Amino acid sequence: MSATGNVTQSIPFIRRMLSPTWITIWLTVIVAIIVSVAKGPFALVNSLVTGGMWALMAAGLALVFGVMNIPNFAHGEFFMIGTLVAYFVFNPISKYLRQNPSPAFAAIAPFAGIILAVVVGALLGFVIEKIIFSQLRRRSKEQWVMNTFLLTAGVSVVMINGTRLIWGTEFKGVTHYWDVDPLEFFGVNLSIDRIVVFVIALITIVAFWFFMQRTGIGRAMRAVAQDEVGAQMLGIDLDLVHMLTLSLSSALAALAGASLLFMFPSYPTVGLKPLYVAWYVVILAGLGNVQGAIAGGFIVALLQTLTSYFIGVGWEDVVPTALIILILLFKPSGLFGSEVKGVWEQ
Amino acid sequence: MLEVKNVDAGYDFLQVIWDVTLHVADGEFVALIGPNGAGKTTTLRTIAGLLTPPRGQVRFQDRPINGLPAHRISRMGISFVSETLNLFPAMSVYENLLLGAYTVHNKAAIQTNLSFVFDLFPRLHERRNQLAGTLSGGERKMLAIARGMMSSPALMLVDEPSLGLAPKLTLAVFAALQALRQRGVTILLVEQNVNTTLHMADRAYVIEQGRIVLEGQGTDLLNNVHVQKAYLGI
Repeated sequence: MSATGNVTQSIPFIRRMLSPTWITIWLTVIVAIIVSVAKGPFALVNSLVTGGMWALMAAGLALVFGVMNIPNFAHGEFFMIGTLVAYFVFNPISKYLRQNPSPAFAAIAPFAGIILAVVVGALLGFVIEKIIFSQLRRRSKEQWVMNTFLLTAGVSVVMINGTRLIWGTEFKGVTHYWDVDPLEFFGVNLSIDRIVVFVIALITIVAFWFFMQRTGIGRAMRAVAQDEVGAQMLGIDLDLVHMLTLSLSSALAALAGASLLFMFPSYPTVGLKPLYVAWYVVILAGLGNVQGAIAGGFIVALLQTLTSYFIGVGWEDVVPTALIILILLFKPSGLFGSEVKGVWEQ
Repeated sequence: MLEVKNVDAGYDFLQVIWDVTLHVADGEFVALIGPNGAGKTTTLRTIAGLLTPPRGQVRFQDRPINGLPAHRISRMGISFVSETLNLFPAMSVYENLLLGAYTVHNKAAIQTNLSFVFDLFPRLHERRNQLAGTLSGGERKMLAIARGMMSSPALMLVDEPSLGLAPKLTLAVFAALQALRQRGVTILLVEQNVNTTLHMADRAYVIEQGRIVLEGQGTDLLNNVHVQKAYLGI
């Protein structure tokens, strides 16, 4: 049914491509291409690699805000848990591999850490929903956004200091996942790790999109975001949807953390920077707008790459923040805010 | 099929309905009429499980359902078409309908229901790829009713389908309800359009200030002095 629909809707499709949303995306692509041609393709390559992971972080954040109305300031801690799990799985394996080299095992070993990190992230999200948010929901929904904001800030402090207490503050990192010579793309040396990270991001984004758009439970999640009462009336179990939403979002953050372990060695506050970036993206794209968050991830990554190259690494956070202030002044709903709206915006 | 016994209900500290007792038999078309603020919507919301009654019992197919969460009640076969419609504005008509069949796992049954509602409301078929938020008022009503039918419910609770509709569209909506009834769906309808409703309904209850004050055959109520005076202006 939707396939035939796309054919009949080809004219609105063209109009949609000319909307502010798509113009922003085209502009980003054009800027990336111009810089790539003028200064070498580093901008495109770097922003694709980090952008993919920012997109995953931001999509999870936007999802939780959209479906559960929770501004999750503990999102970065799931990133941290991801790096931690990946480290504790991968480190012993790499030690073992140094004594007993086996190329086949070395090729798949990093995935063990990444997959386990995803599982742990999902479980942790489930536990936090069960012991914190579902309890609060049962007791009072008054001042929900404010209360959950404070709760997530508390969860973040507890998780950071809990990690500090148990595993200490030293950096736990790996220099690389795959000990292979970097590949050369258009004159840029690109480590296998970065390529794999990009591929993971790409696959996850496609799978996530498919899950949200084409499966019953993904559709139910979107339904809850748009009308909670309406969703209940149709037999959608809110508890189940809330649980799945926080699990999925935490799993995405943990996946980002585990995949980027070689760039972000694990320590208790490693999640703060990804958290801030995810918030830049979500504010830029429009709160609760998941598709916008994915596009926004790449836009912010490009901004950061360009800033650190042309202005200086220290300015990496300044430029996106300044841009967000500008966007909020002129378009308070964010760049893509008008396309998908949650209940709280109406 | 549905029995509501001595139910009190309301919102927090504001009680809206007192001691409401009503029943709907299998295949029946029952109407609940009354002025604004009488508690009609509150009654339906209580049956649908969106409100938990502090007192009284609601039974559906001989099982108590008061206190169950709304999604469980919906899964038992009660479909609620609310006054506010509760559509998903950023989803297409087609997706809204698919969500209506969220509890149906048989693909063939979903297709059958889909073609049934598209037959009933050809307009929805024309607009199936349009976002629900961009539909006109009448189309939204049709979509809400159609979505409520997608789960093949045993009982439909319909809240003021004619509210805010042009007379012609009101007729279309009533015709759809008739079609549903012929299909064997039991209906509990809340309406302010008393004349048409009483002509269509098998039985009706009149609710005033939170209490049931009258009940009877639809045609009998049309001749009732109180109903004529208060609702029909005769």
